[in-house]
Amino acid sequence: MRKWMVFLSVLLVLSFFLSACGSAPTATPAPTEEATEVSTPEPTEEATPEPTEEAVEPVVIRWFVGLGTGGNPEQIEAQQNVVDRFNAEHEDIQIELEIVQNDVAYDTLKTEIASGNPPDIVGPVGMRGANEFEGMWLDLSDLIESHNYDMSDYDPATVEFYRDNDGALLGIPFAVYPSFIYYNRDLFDEAGLPYPPHKYGEPYADGDPWTVEKLEEIAMKLTVDANGNDATSPDFDPENIVQFGYLTQWTDPRGQATLFGPGSFVDENGNAQIPENWRAAFHWYYDGMWSKWFIPNGPYQGSDLLAAGNPFNSGNLAMAHCHLWYTCCLGDVENWDIAATPSYNGQITSKLHADTFRILNTTEHPDEAFTVLAYLLDDAAPDLLLVYGAMPAHKSLQAAFFEGLDEKYPQGVDWQVAIDSLSYADHPSHESWMPNFAKADDRIKAFQSLYENTPDLDIDAELDKLRDDLQAIFDEVK
Amino acid sequence: MEPSKRHKLSASARREARWGLLFLSPWLIGFLVFTLVPMVASLLFSFTDFNLLRPDEVHFVGLKNYRHLLHDPLVEQSMLVTLRFILISVPVGMLFPLLLATLLNAKRLKGKPFLRTLFYMPYIVPMISAAYIWRGFLGTTDGWLNKGLAVLGIKGPDWWNSPRWIYPALVLAGLWGVGNAMLTMLASMQGVPTELYEAAKVDGATPIHTFRHITLPMISPVLFYNLVLILIGTFQYFLLPWVIKGPNGDPGGATMFYNLYLFKTAFPYSDMGYGATLAWVLFFIILLVTLFLFGTAKYWVYYPSEEV
Repeated sequence: MRKWMVFLSVLLVLSFFLSACGSAPTATPAPTEEATEVSTPEPTEEATPEPTEEAVEPVVIRWFVGLGTGGNPEQIEAQQNVVDRFNAEHEDIQIELEIVQNDVAYDTLKTEIASGNPPDIVGPVGMRGANEFEGMWLDLSDLIESHNYDMSDYDPATVEFYRDNDGALLGIPFAVYPSFIYYNRDLFDEAGLPYPPHKYGEPYADGDPWTVEKLEEIAMKLTVDANGNDATSPDFDPENIVQFGYLTQWTDPRGQATLFGPGSFVDENGNAQIPENWRAAFHWYYDGMWSKWFIPNGPYQGSDLLAAGNPFNSGNLAMAHCHLWYTCCLGDVENWDIAATPSYNGQITSKLHADTFRILNTTEHPDEAFTVLAYLLDDAAPDLLLVYGAMPAHKSLQAAFFEGLDEKYPQGVDWQVAIDSLSYADHPSHESWMPNFAKADDRIKAFQSLYENTPDLDIDAELDKLRDDLQAIFDEVK
Repeated sequence: MEPSKRHKLSASARREARWGLLFLSPWLIGFLVFTLVPMVASLLFSFTDFNLLRPDEVHFVGLKNYRHLLHDPLVEQSMLVTLRFILISVPVGMLFPLLLATLLNAKRLKGKPFLRTLFYMPYIVPMISAAYIWRGFLGTTDGWLNKGLAVLGIKGPDWWNSPRWIYPALVLAGLWGVGNAMLTMLASMQGVPTELYEAAKVDGATPIHTFRHITLPMISPVLFYNLVLILIGTFQYFLLPWVIKGPNGDPGGATMFYNLYLFKTAFPYSDMGYGATLAWVLFFIILLVTLFLFGTAKYWVYYPSEEV
C-alpha cells in the first residue's frame, strides 16, 4: 500500500509540472532578448546627474569561439586583447567574447540557439563546422554593400568559396589553408630518390609526369620493413613495416577521394551517388593499405611507429598530403619541405580549407555585428592569424605570414608551393553540404573506419552500401 | 486527526522543521531544476519534432517519434550492441569482484591491506585516463599485451579495430573499475557470522560447499545490489568506447551503444524530439529489467532479517 502511495505521489508531482510546463516546447523564443539585456549597462544615474543627457546603451555583440581553433591559452589571450582593444575604441558597440572548448562547442552552440540565446558572430569556423548549422548564417551581400566593405584584396575564387547555391554570400575569406605534399628529405636521401616536384605542371626528376601513379611508385620504394626490404620486394614483410611511403593525412573519405578530383556524394537532384573518380580513389587507398602496403592502415596509423596518430611528424612517413595548418604539429620531424599535389587523369586538385567568422541570421544587430566582423577580418587579422597559425586570405598580409613561418622552420621551406596550390582548390569543396549533414557525415566516417581497419573487403560492394545508406539518410529530411 | 496533530507542533519543533527544510533546500532545488523539470521536459519533447537548430518551429507530433523508433534500423542495431555487451560484461563484472573479494577474505592470504588497496586503486583513476592507458596497453602493433603475446609466439588480436575483439577489450578495460563492487562484497563476506562456518566445518563441509551454501546466500543482498547497479550502468554504457573509438561506433558499428545513438540523435543530429523518445524508451526498458530483478529477488536473495 505504501508503495502505491509513493507511486501516486510521484505521479501527482509529475502532473503538476506537466501542467506548469505544458506550453514550453512550442513557445517561440525571442532569440536575442537576453543579449539585449546583457547590453544594458550598469545604472548611470550617479555618474550622469544631468537629466537632459540620455545615456547611450552600447549594443553588445557576442562572439562565439570554439567550432574551430581558438581555444588554446595563447589564442584566448590574443582574442581577449583584440576584444579589449575594440571595446576601448567603441562606445556604441561592445564585444563579449565567449570561448568554448572544441569538443563541446557544437553542442553548446546548438543549445544556445535552441534556448533562444544565440551569439551574433561565430568563428573561426571552417566549411565543415558551418555545415552543421546550415540555414543559420546571414547573407552578407547587402551589408558588404551598405558598409562599402573593400573586397579587392581577396582572391575572387576564394570569395566564391563562401557563396551558396542560392547565390548568398555567407562569409568573407579570413584564413585559407591550401593543401600539398609534405615530404621528409632525409627519407628520400636515404633511399636515393629525387624529391617530388615543387612547381605545378613540372614532371618528376626522371621525366615522368607527376601523377598519382608516379607518387605510388616512389611511395612503394619508400615503404620499408624491419629487414630493410621495400614494398616492391617479394621478400617484403607487411607485418613488420618500419617506414611508410604516403598518407593523405587527417582527413575523411571525402578529403581522401578529392586527390582523384573534386566530387560529391550528392548529385544535382539531391540523391546519393558515388562519383566514378572517387570510386577509383577508394580502390587506390584500399589497395595501398592492404595489398601494396605503401599507405599505413588503421592499426599502423594508431601505433607508436607513426606517433600514435601524427604520422608525418613521427619521421617514419615519407610523404603526407595535408593542409597548411599542419605546420602546427611538426615539432619532431626537422628536415621537411613541401611539394606539388600530383594529378589524376590530367587534373590536379589541391583541396582547400578556409576558416572565417560568420554572423548568425538570428542576430538582432546585423549592422553592428558586421562592424565587428569587419574589425576581426581587417584590423585584428594580423594578431589573430598569428595565433591561429593561418595563412591570410588578405593577399597583402601573406608575405609577412610566411616570414613568420620561416623563423619557425629554418630548414628552408618552399612556401610558393602553398600559394600556387590555391589555384587548384576543389570545387565543389570536399566539405560541402549534404542533406541531414551530421548523420550523413557519420555514415561516411564509418565507411572510413571500415576500410582502414578491415582486410579482404569488397570495396565496390561497400561503396554501393554506402550510397544506399546515404540515400536513406538524405530521405529522412526530404 | 492529522491536521490537529500538526497544529500541536511546538514552536521549537516548527523552527527545527524550518531549519531542516532550509538545509535541504539546495538539494531540493537542485533536484527540481536539474532532474525533475528536465525529465518532464524531455517527456514533452518526445511528442514533438523539436530540432535544436529550429527552436521556433516545434510541432506536436503525437506518437510519431515512438512509431519511428519501431522502424529505425539504428535503434535495433544499437540495442543489439548493448544487449550483446551486457551478456559479456555483466557476468564478468559480477564474477571478477566476487573472485577478488573471496581471495581477499581468505584467512591465509598475506598482505591483505596492501592487496585490497592495490585492487581498489584503479577505481579512483579517472575514466578518461584509464581509457587512454588501456588504449595503449591493448594496441595492435605496440601494445604491451600483444608484445607479451608475441614473446610467447602468439599473434595478438587487433583489440580495438576488430568487431570481434572490441568487446573483450572493453570488458578488460572495465575490470579496472570493479574496486567498489569488490569492497562491498568483501565487507559483506566479513559480516557473515563465523559460527556458520564453524558449524559447517564440524559437519565436514568442503570449502566449495561452504562457499556455495553459506557465503553466497549470506552475501546475496549485496550481489543483488551490485547486479542492479551493473545492469543499469551497462544499459547506459558508452563513455569508454566514445573516448577510445570516437563517436562513430567504430569498428563497424560495434560500439554504437544505444546510449551513444541517443546522445548523437539529440545533440550532433539536433533531433531533440526523437532523442527524448529514445531516452524514455531506455528508461522504461531499464525500469522493466529492474522490476523483473526485484520480482525474482525473493527466489534467490536471502534476507536474514525477514526470517521470523
